[in-house]
Amino acid sequence: MTDRPAISVENLWQVFGANAASAYDEASGGPPEEIAAKLKAQGLIPAVRGVTFDVAPGELFVVMGLSGSGKSTLIRGISRLVEPTAGRVEIEGEDVLAATPKRMIELRRSKIGMVFQHFGLFPHMSVIDNVAFPLKVGRMSRKERHDKVRPIIETVGLAGREDAYPRELSGGQKQRVGIARSLAGDCSVWFLDEPFSALDPLIRRQLQDEFLEIRKRLNTTIVFITHDIAEALKLADRIAIMRDGQVVQIGTPTEIVLNPVDDYVREFARDVARGRHAKVGSIMQGGTEGIGPDDPGLSPDMTLEDALASCMKLYEPVPVRDASGTLLGAVHPKDLAKALQVEQG
Amino acid sequence: MTTLDAVDSTPWGLSPKLLAAVVALLTGAICLLLQPYAPWLFAFPAGWTVPATEWVGTTLEVVLNAIKPTMRLFSAAIAYPMEWANIALAGTPWPVVIGTVTAIGWHLGGWRMGLLGFVGFLFVLLSGYWEESMNTLSLVVVSVPLAMILGGLIGLLANEIPRLRAALLVALDAMQTIPTFAYLTPLLLLFGFGPVVGLVASAIYAAPPMARNVILGLERVEPEVKEAGVMSGATRFQQLFLVEIPAASRQIMVGVNQCLMAALSMVIIAAVIGGFDDIGWEVLLTMRKAQFGQAFLAGLVIVTFAIVIDRMSARLALERKRFDARISWGLFAAGVAGAILLWLTGVSAPPEGIFGGVADSVDTALGDFTAANGASLDSVKNNAMFYGLLPLRIGLDEAVLPFTWGFQWTSSMSLWLFVAAGLGGALLALTGRPVAGALLLIAVGILETGIANLPWPFVLVGAAALAWLAQGPRFALVVTALLATILISGLWERALLSLYLSGAAVAACAVVGGALGLLAAISPMAWRVLRPICDMLQTIPLFVFLIPVLMFFQIGEFSAFLAICAYAIVPMIRYTQAGIVSTPPELLEAATASGASQTQTLLDVRLPYATPVILLGLNQTILYAFAMLVIAALIGTTGLGQSIYLALGQADVGLGVSAGAAMAILAFIADRLVQGFAEERRKALGLA
Ligand SMILES: Nc1ncnc2c1ncn2[C@@H]1O[C@H](COP(=O)(O)OP(=O)(O)O)[C@@H](O)[C@H]1O
Ligand SMILES: [Mg+2]
Repeated sequence: MTDRPAISVENLWQVFGANAASAYDEASGGPPEEIAAKLKAQGLIPAVRGVTFDVAPGELFVVMGLSGSGKSTLIRGISRLVEPTAGRVEIEGEDVLAATPKRMIELRRSKIGMVFQHFGLFPHMSVIDNVAFPLKVGRMSRKERHDKVRPIIETVGLAGREDAYPRELSGGQKQRVGIARSLAGDCSVWFLDEPFSALDPLIRRQLQDEFLEIRKRLNTTIVFITHDIAEALKLADRIAIMRDGQVVQIGTPTEIVLNPVDDYVREFARDVARGRHAKVGSIMQGGTEGIGPDDPGLSPDMTLEDALASCMKLYEPVPVRDASGTLLGAVHPKDLAKALQVEQG
Repeated sequence: MTTLDAVDSTPWGLSPKLLAAVVALLTGAICLLLQPYAPWLFAFPAGWTVPATEWVGTTLEVVLNAIKPTMRLFSAAIAYPMEWANIALAGTPWPVVIGTVTAIGWHLGGWRMGLLGFVGFLFVLLSGYWEESMNTLSLVVVSVPLAMILGGLIGLLANEIPRLRAALLVALDAMQTIPTFAYLTPLLLLFGFGPVVGLVASAIYAAPPMARNVILGLERVEPEVKEAGVMSGATRFQQLFLVEIPAASRQIMVGVNQCLMAALSMVIIAAVIGGFDDIGWEVLLTMRKAQFGQAFLAGLVIVTFAIVIDRMSARLALERKRFDARISWGLFAAGVAGAILLWLTGVSAPPEGIFGGVADSVDTALGDFTAANGASLDSVKNNAMFYGLLPLRIGLDEAVLPFTWGFQWTSSMSLWLFVAAGLGGALLALTGRPVAGALLLIAVGILETGIANLPWPFVLVGAAALAWLAQGPRFALVVTALLATILISGLWERALLSLYLSGAAVAACAVVGGALGLLAAISPMAWRVLRPICDMLQTIPLFVFLIPVLMFFQIGEFSAFLAICAYAIVPMIRYTQAGIVSTPPELLEAATASGASQTQTLLDVRLPYATPVILLGLNQTILYAFAMLVIAALIGTTGLGQSIYLALGQADVGLGVSAGAAMAILAFIADRLVQGFAEERRKALGLA
């Protein structure tokens, strides 16, 4: 693994409206809030405002925010479904915004995959033709591309339905097709825009689990968009929280839940039973002084809830060990309780 | 935007509607008062007009002559496929043609469509017009692909270059509002007499529906489907042809259906140029010879064609079951076998029409019928003319004569009429309906003067006032400018005559069609009867409407009026029915819960809710009436329609194009006015 991020976004702006680019150039210079205010005064819509983040190779990066906060626009800017007004986007070191149209087509055929909220299936094509479409436009022969996508269709659990048409599929099945299609080109960067939001809760959970399974087997870098905090916490390596076109906090699920930077983020975490997501590691002290005699067997990746359950009757710091039993640090049971209760205060 | 909200504040605190009505009323009154001193207020002096038609003619002739050589080349090139199609169709033994049509029918819609194709074409065969029909079909077969390519290209262009879109949509509007005959004159000059003119005209006329549906279909493809195409790494070309066009295919097939029908209609209309022995020509010829039985039969053949083509191609736009292809091939093979059998027995030529005799007897029977009922038919016609159309056209003051009404209209009668109207208007105004009062006075004024004799300042001001109400001040300016163009180009009188006839027909359609629509909305039984009739009337090519009215009422304005009504009434019925039926159930339940009776619900809930839809129906009715007005020129109308038709006969490009443009202007104004009011109603109901 190199140090180079797989995706690097720097000060990305997406302004909608007439002559957005020149208006942005004129307004630029100050902090994003000021620029946005100037643009809005001219009737323009600054949907994404100076967003900066890096995604490491193989990382599952979740972008979360209320509807209208600019998540879709951000992902479209990165994949150039819309032309960003300003900023820089690099995918595996390549400046995407400077890529020629021809190069963009190549990138989309071989490097970038995308899954849409409402599936975006081609109504006139069977499942297998939908999935094989990226290969078809890449001029692979019919037999070759069908052979290539059959295992993918199997992976998403649609074996046997190759010849069905989208109208004959349920919502969950449609999104499986969408996922399979985005994987057909062997992408190394995978964008998913609220892929499970249109599905029933049960199906959603099932697909989330399958998604994690697929992800384990692939080595792709993923940008996953959602407005559902539970989904974000369940899937993410890191989460970026968006509000009004800006990223207000980036952090691991635990950081987001335990240390929200402002009320907006706190509001998201409110409904979450946080003990289920924050890990012992996040409140562990490095030192080993004062550890009491009891060892309830805590590990850093245990959730707070589980940890608290196992030190119900203890009043002194307890050790935290890794899988091999090496002592890593200590946790005071009262910190556990406090961390769980911050919310109620 | 620029509707009534924009004109909220008016001088003297009058409501916009009242202000508009009062201004129009005052203009009319002043004109009437000044009539004895300033006759030029009524008849626009010839000295003030410019020879616009001649200018247009000279300019166009220069342009047309410049491109003529190219066009003649094109014409020569296009003549080949047409000849081939003709040879192929006329040369194919009839059993094969019928077998093929039946097979296509089966393929598209199972045994029902197969049967329709079989029976339809069998009827054509037995009618004795087989050859003529195949000639018509070969024109359609060549012009439709041309129209589809032309329309498809326009649609794609509008889709791909957003900046061209607005301009192209205006062009499409124009291509459809310019009367059909007006196309023919310049084409005649370009291509010379012959079927190519009809071919090109129908390709031009049939292209807009195709283009519109392509634009609409591509626009309606889900954005995510388009984006999925992009993100799959498709080139723009691949996106269009592999994703967007196939995803829009339903809508595009609707376009193909409309394109086929428009082409058929135009091919038949183009028969007036002559030079090609097709079925439209047959109708025209027999009509001219007053052989109505034969004309009727040929008309039925056209209707059959229209129905078969329409119903079959409409299937393209539906989600289809797949029908066994083997049966299609079997039907085709049966046709071939039949042909071989016939050839072996030595009777390969299509049979003489077995209906020839029928046509003759229909003809005789008709002659007998009209002879026997001539008096009552005449009295129907005369009553409608004397008590309805004539007063509307030339006003009570000229139409009421001892010979017609039994007495002479005098100026004191006029005075009393106005006094009575004034009292009525005042009463309305005092009871809180000043707009209605002003409108009553205006209506009486128009009736007294007659539409064809209206003073031009009144027409200009009145139209501008309506335009101001409907779409705001900018549109009022546009309307005034357009009407003024007609005025100074010397086509004013003819325009008023056209306005009168189409106005009378539209009014009749609005009343009768509205009532029928209402009936159909209340009684599902009535709708079950009316609906197939409406379907039928909408499928029939315009031309055919002339035959029955001519059979009973001979050439003349009344026949034209009836033909226009028969064609233009359909949208009024349909939209009224649809508008009333589509009232949301919650509203009806709320009304019932409030204790409203059936009638109250209808008047207070359903009708107001349906108004925007009904207005759109009226809009369609107006456009249909204008379209038919020109065709009706064949059987005796005055006005612009007649000029366009005459211009065709004399190959007078200037007159044909100017009169066509004037017609298009009238249609455009009427269209935008009604749409403006419909929009306003929709806004008022919170639907827009
Ligand atoms: N093509 C566009 N033109 C104008 N405004 C847009 C366009 N696309 C998105 N927006 C606006 O940008 C904002 C962010 O939208 P979006 O990125 O779709 O939000 P999210 O995906 O977070 O719900 C919204 O206010 C939306 O109205
Ligand atoms: Mg979104």
